[in-house]
Amino acid sequence: MIQTILKKDLKLFFSDKKAVLLTFLMPILLIALFAFAFGGTGGNNREAKPITLLVSDIDNSLDSKSVLASLDTLSTIKLIHKDIIEATDLVRKGDYVGVLIFEKGFHDSIANGGKLPLELKYDSAREIEMGMLQSVLMQNLMSSIGEKAVKAKMNTYFETNFSGVPSGIKEKVFSDMDSGDTGMNAMMSNDMALKMTSILKEDKKQGNLGLIQAVAGTAIMMLLFSIAGIGGGLLDEKDAGTLKRLLYSPLKPTDILFGKMGASLVLAILQLVVMFVFAWLAFDLPIFNDIPSLILMILATAFAVSSFGIFLVSIAKSRQQLNGYSTIIIMLMSAIGGSMVPLFIMPAIMQKIAVISVNYWGIQGFFDIFWRNLPLTDILPKMGVLLGIGLGMTLLSVRLFKRNILKMV
Amino acid sequence: MIWFLRIFEVYKPINMIQVSHLSKSFEKIQAVKDISFSIKKGEIFGLLGPNGAGKSTTINMMSTILKSDEGAIFIDGNDLNENPNACKQLIGVVPQEISLYDDFTAYENLLFWGSLYKIPSKELKERIASILELIGLADRKNDLIKTYSGGMKRRINIASALLHNPKILFMDEPTVGVDPQSRNRIFEIVEALNAEGMTIVYTTHYMEEVERLCNRIAIIDAGQIIAQGTQAQLQKQSDVEEKVEITFEEVSENQLKKLKEELSLEMLHDTQKITIACDVNKDLSNIISICNNNNLKIKDLELKKVNLEAIFLNLTGKQLRD
Repeated sequence: MIQTILKKDLKLFFSDKKAVLLTFLMPILLIALFAFAFGGTGGNNREAKPITLLVSDIDNSLDSKSVLASLDTLSTIKLIHKDIIEATDLVRKGDYVGVLIFEKGFHDSIANGGKLPLELKYDSAREIEMGMLQSVLMQNLMSSIGEKAVKAKMNTYFETNFSGVPSGIKEKVFSDMDSGDTGMNAMMSNDMALKMTSILKEDKKQGNLGLIQAVAGTAIMMLLFSIAGIGGGLLDEKDAGTLKRLLYSPLKPTDILFGKMGASLVLAILQLVVMFVFAWLAFDLPIFNDIPSLILMILATAFAVSSFGIFLVSIAKSRQQLNGYSTIIIMLMSAIGGSMVPLFIMPAIMQKIAVISVNYWGIQGFFDIFWRNLPLTDILPKMGVLLGIGLGMTLLSVRLFKRNILKMV
Repeated sequence: MIWFLRIFEVYKPINMIQVSHLSKSFEKIQAVKDISFSIKKGEIFGLLGPNGAGKSTTINMMSTILKSDEGAIFIDGNDLNENPNACKQLIGVVPQEISLYDDFTAYENLLFWGSLYKIPSKELKERIASILELIGLADRKNDLIKTYSGGMKRRINIASALLHNPKILFMDEPTVGVDPQSRNRIFEIVEALNAEGMTIVYTTHYMEEVERLCNRIAIIDAGQIIAQGTQAQLQKQSDVEEKVEITFEEVSENQLKKLKEELSLEMLHDTQKITIACDVNKDLSNIISICNNNNLKIKDLELKKVNLEAIFLNLTGKQLRD
């Protein structure tokens, strides 16, 4: 008897293609995606993509060039030369992880054994990349200029404190330093330290990185689910016959679609506002830093998301189909776009793919407002992309609505 | 041909609806095949046919939500293909499904459906009040639709189609799934609307509804109109006759022979029973007096009047509810 029930249930399960798809394909897709995101693909032979680092060589000396030439040989770093203002601006906008600045006097400091005027200004939203970069830079710096700098420092020390020391003794000391058994390299590490500066910490109050990631990422993902649900009301109306009755009235079919989209848009705006207000009240997210940018970003995100929700509704022929599609598409988009895993810990290729996701543009826009404190003009391109996505999805939805839904009435 | 019909129809406004050579196919299935009919102002026109006959497809085309493959439809002189918006203002549609929002009250539903026709707020509220009176649900107007019985929902379903005061009302099987009491209530509403001058197109597969309500009827089967006219005209077209069936207590061969001679009507008989084809209203008293004159004691008398079921069976060779 149990066997009969078991057979029946398995037969029923495998006859439902959507259930099979959700049960097997969805986890496979997510496993593949997360494995890719966390760098688990390609076995042991996979070469890591280099981190792109901006360089501003103000000193422009033989020593600074020597350090840069040494850095250039590394496969883990790709250098791009920019002047300091442009480089700082690009890092501020989040386009690059950081800029290595060789200040005027770099050469002289090495020659005199003084503190190196070397600074790494970085985007602290990308701390993991920054940690890796710092370690690579320090190793390289020590190997390329460390010995020279230490000898210069020691020479100055001897000249100042023991001017009468015979040159043979000085040579012996330098020779011991070369053998590395005196611990003198470590002694000098303080002067060799790389000055690290986050260029985002300005006058305005900055949000907590993890909090912004959690709020923006979660808000957009949940928004997509709720908008798909609201839009799904259109399919319920089709089943209940009210859509047919709406078509009897003087309304145009597109009025019905845009009406539904308008309702989704209003609810999306409300949902985002509520989430940000909650984040402000509960976690002190600085939502009042730049109110115009925040309002426009909420509007652009809500438009893109509500259009996307309506698009999902337009490709589905039933509520069950919509549930299947939306679960798969929204989960994938959220994983790719950084709602589930912060983008900065993903490999470069994933960060490039992320741009196809609504989540990416929304999250990055909110990062620009709360973390990078960018002015509105710098955030407008991201809002433009969101509006473009919204417009494209709307046009597609109109076509699909006429083809898929109206024909079924 | 169609241009001629269009000019002709524009100058013949007495027909509220003119349908000419209408056809519609869904992929390989031809749902409606070259049907034509006209409906006069103030008529209740019945579209009678079994499920899947093409009634709803025809109504969907007449109510603008489905494009015909061929043919023309004129609503009060307006070409539906050319001017669908004007036609939408003239028609109200009561769909087969209960197309209401369950989580709205009856009043909220009516307010919503009425507002789609851009009726001024005050006028709409007055209209809602009078329609709620007409359908007998004024006292329940603030109850959620989901708390209504099936029959009450059907009445609100009808009311929703009346708010813009249409000249024509399409009713697509408006009594499906309702109890006899609610059905009667719906009939009364239809009759009241018609008495006010509304033209009504009523589709159903219940012949008794058509018999009670409709002035004229089109019998539709497999997408084609097989016959149309008044019930009497349909009877003539179908050659179905009214009959009287009489069973006697006792009857002899001689008595039967004499009866046949005196009646001068077509008569079939077996041992104790005779079946006479006749006009029941005209001939019945004469038949009974001849039987009495011949000392024939009537044990049972059954009138076999012609109904649409019989006409439909005669015309199509199948039962209406097959």
